[in-house]
Amino acid sequence: MEFSVLIGGEAGLGAFSMELELTDILSRLNYYFFATKNYMSRVRGGHNFHMIRIADHSVHALTGGSWDMIVALDEETEIRHRVHLYDKGLYLSPTLIGEVAREAREEFHDVTVSNTILVGVILAIIDVDTERLAAVTESNKLKYLRRGFKYAGQWEMAGIFPIPSKAGCHYIFDGNKAIALGSLLGGCQFMAGYPMTPATSIMHYFATAAMSLPAHFEQAEDEISAINMALGASYAGVRSMVATAGGGFALMQEAVSLAGMTETPIVIVVGQRPGPATGLPTRTEQGDLNLVLYAGHGEFPRIVFAPGTIGEAIDVTRKSFELADRYQIPVFVLTDQYFADSVQLMEEDLPVSVPAREYGIFDRAYQRYALMETGISPLTFPGLFDAMVRVDSDEHDESGTITEDLDLRIRMVDKRLGKMTLLKKDAIPPTFYGDSEAGTILISWGSNRLIVEEAVDKLVAERIEASALHFGQVYPLSNDMIAPYQLESKTIICVENNGGAQFACLLKKEFGLHATHNILKYNGECFTVEEIYSRVKLLLSPEVEE
Amino acid sequence: MIKKTDITWCPGCGNYAIRDVLEKVLHELPIPRKDIAFTSGIGQAAKMPQYLEVNYFNGLHGRSLPLAVGIKLARPDLTVVSYSGDGCLYGEGGNHFIHAIRRRLDLTIITSDNQIYGLTKGQSSPTTDFGVKNALDPRGNENIPLNPLSLAINMGAPFVARGYAGDKDHLGGIIREAILFKGTAVVDILQPCVSFNNINTYQWYHKRVFKVDNTPADRYEAMKLAEQWGDKIPIGIIYRDDKAECRELAKIFREPLTEADIREHLAMKCVMMR
Ligand SMILES: Cc1ncc(C[n+]2csc(CCOP(=O)(O)OP(=O)(O)O)c2C)c(N)n1
Ligand code: SF4
Repeated sequence: MEFSVLIGGEAGLGAFSMELELTDILSRLNYYFFATKNYMSRVRGGHNFHMIRIADHSVHALTGGSWDMIVALDEETEIRHRVHLYDKGLYLSPTLIGEVAREAREEFHDVTVSNTILVGVILAIIDVDTERLAAVTESNKLKYLRRGFKYAGQWEMAGIFPIPSKAGCHYIFDGNKAIALGSLLGGCQFMAGYPMTPATSIMHYFATAAMSLPAHFEQAEDEISAINMALGASYAGVRSMVATAGGGFALMQEAVSLAGMTETPIVIVVGQRPGPATGLPTRTEQGDLNLVLYAGHGEFPRIVFAPGTIGEAIDVTRKSFELADRYQIPVFVLTDQYFADSVQLMEEDLPVSVPAREYGIFDRAYQRYALMETGISPLTFPGLFDAMVRVDSDEHDESGTITEDLDLRIRMVDKRLGKMTLLKKDAIPPTFYGDSEAGTILISWGSNRLIVEEAVDKLVAERIEASALHFGQVYPLSNDMIAPYQLESKTIICVENNGGAQFACLLKKEFGLHATHNILKYNGECFTVEEIYSRVKLLLSPEVEE
Repeated sequence: MIKKTDITWCPGCGNYAIRDVLEKVLHELPIPRKDIAFTSGIGQAAKMPQYLEVNYFNGLHGRSLPLAVGIKLARPDLTVVSYSGDGCLYGEGGNHFIHAIRRRLDLTIITSDNQIYGLTKGQSSPTTDFGVKNALDPRGNENIPLNPLSLAINMGAPFVARGYAGDKDHLGGIIREAILFKGTAVVDILQPCVSFNNINTYQWYHKRVFKVDNTPADRYEAMKLAEQWGDKIPIGIIYRDDKAECRELAKIFREPLTEADIREHLAMKCVMMR
């Protein structure tokens, strides 16, 4: 059982606050839901819409297709979305909503409560029990919600789409909160940043958390400064990170290379949005994989994660700090606007332990770049013991002093690149979903994971053989990661939110694997289940030949 | 120990004198060497930390200050000095220079100002005088030079000084005061470049520099002094405000995040616990 609702209106009309109010109450009532938004890069006006899917089972994607209900706060919503209303769907027109607002002014002397009243209407439609509602809401809000129930009764909408609340104890997260929390769990105590959608809310979360935790957020004058500050803090002994979007990351590239050369641990979160240049600032895309894979001049190792679920986002971000330290490299968490702004439930427990940062005790003989059997030089920080910590952006000798000794250069390059072997051994394997015998496999990375998995369910329900493989780590890739799946013998469909099939190209480069088909989308919006399902179906139907 | 023969500066370069001064000052300071961290960018001057007994992070061209800011924020217990050339600090890193001062941190920012790009062999820097000819400005520099001292005062730096590599004792006093000063201290050092700047030579500076005996307490007076350039060039502490307050910094390094912190955080913050 499911119910999907779209709330649309120009920025400032309250569609966003309705989403927040509704999802907050749904969470309190233990409802399964998924909420995401589509908004313009402006503070007032334009057209924004918020999409909420409520169900009696766990949901983590937009279904696509038609809406069960549309709340049109303005005419634009009517024009754009009404055609997508399910034929027995419910429609709240701008006129009707105007009525509600007028009555709210009369009855409560406050028009702004009309949004809460509309939330009440939605709750009545899914047949929320008013007593349970009363138990979980603040009393001052309750009367407005109750007014909504009354309207629903009047309009004969109450209980039309009854949904039982079946979720257990859970957290609600959007992708950015998951990443920010993951960073704290990874022991990150320093973040520097310059605001840029869709990464800004990671900074907000971290800065707020730092008010009461031993952590610091610094707003830098630009992204170049932000990453160099983070490298300074990391050198000084504190686990550090930056978060930005593709454009800001482009500015950071020289310092990524600096991290590579100086072997300074750092975690870099890149939230993708459509480019090039400023592109579509508030929309989504997976167009920066290549940027992140190849960012920074010169050759040095790196890890790139691309989490597909809230749990995975928390885990890989947390792990990033450990790996950045262990291998003294930059580690990336690659995400996107869709994941950043989508609100999801997580029922699993959160890991709450914070691994302590390890560093050695050294005397004056310490050499920051000592060539070791293990391939990893010992890491320590200035001012703790007698060791002097000297790090250099120029090629350097073991002590960290500039060198132009070209034989030593070879050994230093070998040392840095030698870490790749270790990184591959540590790589997180992809997640397989479905029947391993299925002849078709849908490959995805990053935020598409759960959309693809639901599409697979839908295909399988129609006896179309399909399975899914999701890469939460996109670099480095190793043969061990794909060995269990006999990909050579399967129809591979690579699903990506970009125009250039960047991950498919990487698979080809790394494994010589050729994707049979690519499903790409690059209009700035995320995929829906319906979309992937129908495109796969079309691709697999016998008439289609490539 | 650093052998003089390993140093890559040209014979006669003003940086040698500055290095001697720095070694002496660092030796005399009541701060253990292990607690001193230098950052630098790229250029001839930026090699300075390599030739000193200190911790250092020799970073990218223009980026010595963000590194210094990051180190200080993470570790207020360290004495942090950013060292670079005029091209590095005022050109490539000009934005950082402006904003690092605004952060009100206890940092020392020292520049070997040779009014030229040394390492890249003689192009105009932000402090090159108007009309000076060189390889990339064959018709003469068309730009007005940047005045680091008045800019620093304008941005709110509470300690602003100019030293001269040709007067070691005087320079030593300034650097010592700057490092001990609680707050952002900016020291621009006139540094003759014998290879690429044949205008601002030792003789040229010798004829012009004069010592400031009384540091103005008034910011606008200091600004006037800072603006002096040409026939008479003031050296010494141009502005000093001992009342300016530094920013309070949280202890983070000595207090790593713990499980208890996370539990408390989850109970009270944005993440909804149910
Ligand atoms: C991003 C970047 N751009 C350009 C350079 C080349 N470069 C190195 S040092 C330098 C200028 C040096 O001038 P200055 O900072 O005044 O130092 P000096 O060598 O004169 O001491 C330049 C342009 C570089 N290393 N990095
Ligand atoms: S080029 Fe100029 S600044 Fe550089 S070492 Fe030679 S003399 Fe000194």
